[in-house]
Amino acid sequence: MRTNRRADTLFLLIFAGIFLSAIALAGGLLTEPAGAADFTRKNLPPCLAHPFGTDWMGRDMLARTVAGLSLSIRVGGLTALLSGGIALLLGTVSAACGPRVDALVSWVIDLVLGIPHILLIILVSLACGRGVWGVIAGVALTHWPSLARLVRGEVLQLKQATFLRAVRRLGVSRGRVLRTHLLPHLLPQLFTGLILQFPHAILHEAGVTFLGFGLSPERPAIGVILEESMGYLAAGRWWLALFPGLSLVLVVMLFAVAGERLRLLLAPASAQE
Amino acid sequence: MKKTIPILLAFLLLTSCGKGSESGFSPEPGHSGLLTVVLPATSEPAAGFDPAFGWGAGEHVHEPLIQSTLTVTNPDLTIGYDLATAMEVSGDGLIWTVKIRDDVKFTDGEPLTARDVAFTYNTVKNTSSVNDFTMLDRAEAVDDYTVAFRMTRPFSIWPYTMAVVGILPEHAYDPAAYGSNPVGSGRYMLKRWDRGQQVILEYNPDYYGPQPRMEQVTILFMEEDAAFLAVQAGQADLAYTSAAYSDQSVDGFSLLSVQTVDNRGINLPVWNNELTSDPLVRHAINLGLDRQRMIDNVLNGYGTPAYSVCDGLPWWYAVTAETSDDPEQAKVVLDTAGWLAGPDGVRVKDGVRAALTIHYTAGDSVRQGLAAELANQLKELGIGADIKGVGWDTAYDDALSNPLVWGWGAHTPMELYNIYHTAPGSDSALYSPYANQAVDELMDAALACTDLEESYALWQQAQEEIAGDVPWVWLVNVDHLYWVRDGLAVAEQKIHPHGHGWSIVNNVDQWSWEM
Repeated sequence: MRTNRRADTLFLLIFAGIFLSAIALAGGLLTEPAGAADFTRKNLPPCLAHPFGTDWMGRDMLARTVAGLSLSIRVGGLTALLSGGIALLLGTVSAACGPRVDALVSWVIDLVLGIPHILLIILVSLACGRGVWGVIAGVALTHWPSLARLVRGEVLQLKQATFLRAVRRLGVSRGRVLRTHLLPHLLPQLFTGLILQFPHAILHEAGVTFLGFGLSPERPAIGVILEESMGYLAAGRWWLALFPGLSLVLVVMLFAVAGERLRLLLAPASAQE
Repeated sequence: MKKTIPILLAFLLLTSCGKGSESGFSPEPGHSGLLTVVLPATSEPAAGFDPAFGWGAGEHVHEPLIQSTLTVTNPDLTIGYDLATAMEVSGDGLIWTVKIRDDVKFTDGEPLTARDVAFTYNTVKNTSSVNDFTMLDRAEAVDDYTVAFRMTRPFSIWPYTMAVVGILPEHAYDPAAYGSNPVGSGRYMLKRWDRGQQVILEYNPDYYGPQPRMEQVTILFMEEDAAFLAVQAGQADLAYTSAAYSDQSVDGFSLLSVQTVDNRGINLPVWNNELTSDPLVRHAINLGLDRQRMIDNVLNGYGTPAYSVCDGLPWWYAVTAETSDDPEQAKVVLDTAGWLAGPDGVRVKDGVRAALTIHYTAGDSVRQGLAAELANQLKELGIGADIKGVGWDTAYDDALSNPLVWGWGAHTPMELYNIYHTAPGSDSALYSPYANQAVDELMDAALACTDLEESYALWQQAQEEIAGDVPWVWLVNVDHLYWVRDGLAVAEQKIHPHGHGWSIVNNVDQWSWEM
């Protein structure tokens, strides 16, 4: 049976959205059990009561994984929003405020892009006192340049568009041009970019935590879980790394798929395919 | 990343050395006189094998092996002689005179004289950032084989300091080069050092003591998981491990558990904290812990309950061990102190909730486990507790108002002084808010004592005084665990101090292969 591709895409998008928000919510409720150490049930391999097994402190790995993913999604969401905001602001300003501002913003973009991401995140995170806010600041302040560059290009292109030139000639104010004519064209690009920032942000959050510069170790974060599990692989506790790792990949893939579908839906060229 | 690299290396070793051990660096299993030992990656001395820059001394004391020392600590932690043949202290405690052997040569053939000893002590006083030498004014050679130490203040436990200072050759000492190319008079010579990988020690044929039985000792530096893989591959004869691996078994190896004074404990700030500033609360916490359960849960049974920072050492006040581990009594104490159970099970007094945050240093799984188990046990007493991992950059400051999980355990009573005595120029002890004038006076008297045995009694009296205040609660002594190849006879170990590193090879010269 042939189904409408647009409907398919929409369905997948909604499914991904619901699934991810469910994890984000469940994790928020699970923070307490995820941290609870119970030494009477330590080092259990996966079983019915503990599908992901337990670790050396008797913490349930399923609860920890879900709580960790939830934390990642929430951190990812906040950082994606923040970096999206920075990108939109700098991108538009750069393209709309003349060549000098443009040169300055482009220079900053090049500067930030020129430094390896993970290094910059570690620096910013340390400077902001580590912890959740350190990581959020670190990831948010490093993920905007590519998106800003995209927005800038888009605005530059739009500025040359006939309808905009016509509007300008008619004497419409800059602010109004921005609000009513520029933004509606920018939003689809920005949304897609935002969602595609998620997996980046999540992986970097996990990465910087894994390296020991991010969230503190009693928090159920995926980076913390994976970092801890490394020490027990040689002792044969494979479940400590396998399930949390797979779950992280799954969540990141869901975000990537959702972003891609959203782009297909919103981009005029492919929206009706 | 830092942990994956050793794993990869270990895999490379597994594959590359599979053909036969004659091509690898590991000797034939059981080959007489050859030995491969795996120590933690952190045990590699960054500044090399130079006593002036911390080799053998500092937080993780051990015998320097390459150099000789004046004194040694015996298996029961009393003082014995290495280079020294006699020592005496003047009546005012300000001059220590030590006679040394006259038959000792450095490995370059030059004789070791009192001038080398004096040079060493004057050098470590000037350079060492690891050990405190402010009590030493200067050292001077009286004649070829007599050295005199002039002190700035009486220091009865000077023999314990002399046990950790390796003697340098005055004629062949260049601070820049000595660390990687040391000349000593000890049991072993440094044959080769590949930084980040291994150290090869070869026995000193001219050693003045009994001939070392192990002719060549290779020491590999690895992370815990890589060390375990090396044992599984048969690449090591002895490798350190931890309780996390203690339920594993490896063919041809058995687990060796060494008793330690490598303790873990928490400080309870005597002020700056609304809960722990109540002495009865501190008593109740000390009384109410089930230390054996802690050991079973966190250390898989490999540990001993700790009741002081120096359990089992000659200056230990053993009575501390007799009063603890009675949770029911602890609850009674809390009730009488006015901390009564609130609606959520957490005790309350005058509107103050009995809750605290136990800090531990992030990345240390044993301390994290102990903090979690401690929090569980405190909850049973009606004290709310959660745990928080911190870095060492902030831990010292956090400990001024919160309990922090610490690790101590040294072969000198000076540690008691460092923890409990009021810090110079301050009205509190260094690591946690605490001050007791009686304790200060007893410790000062112990240091001023001219007789070591008498000073032990004074150290014990100071601990008796401290036991009334409970500014720290001691939890466990962590056994040091090692995988040992069958047939290797490891000589009797003296109680290990803090640090899971070089202590095990203190007497490697006396180990042997049973054929």
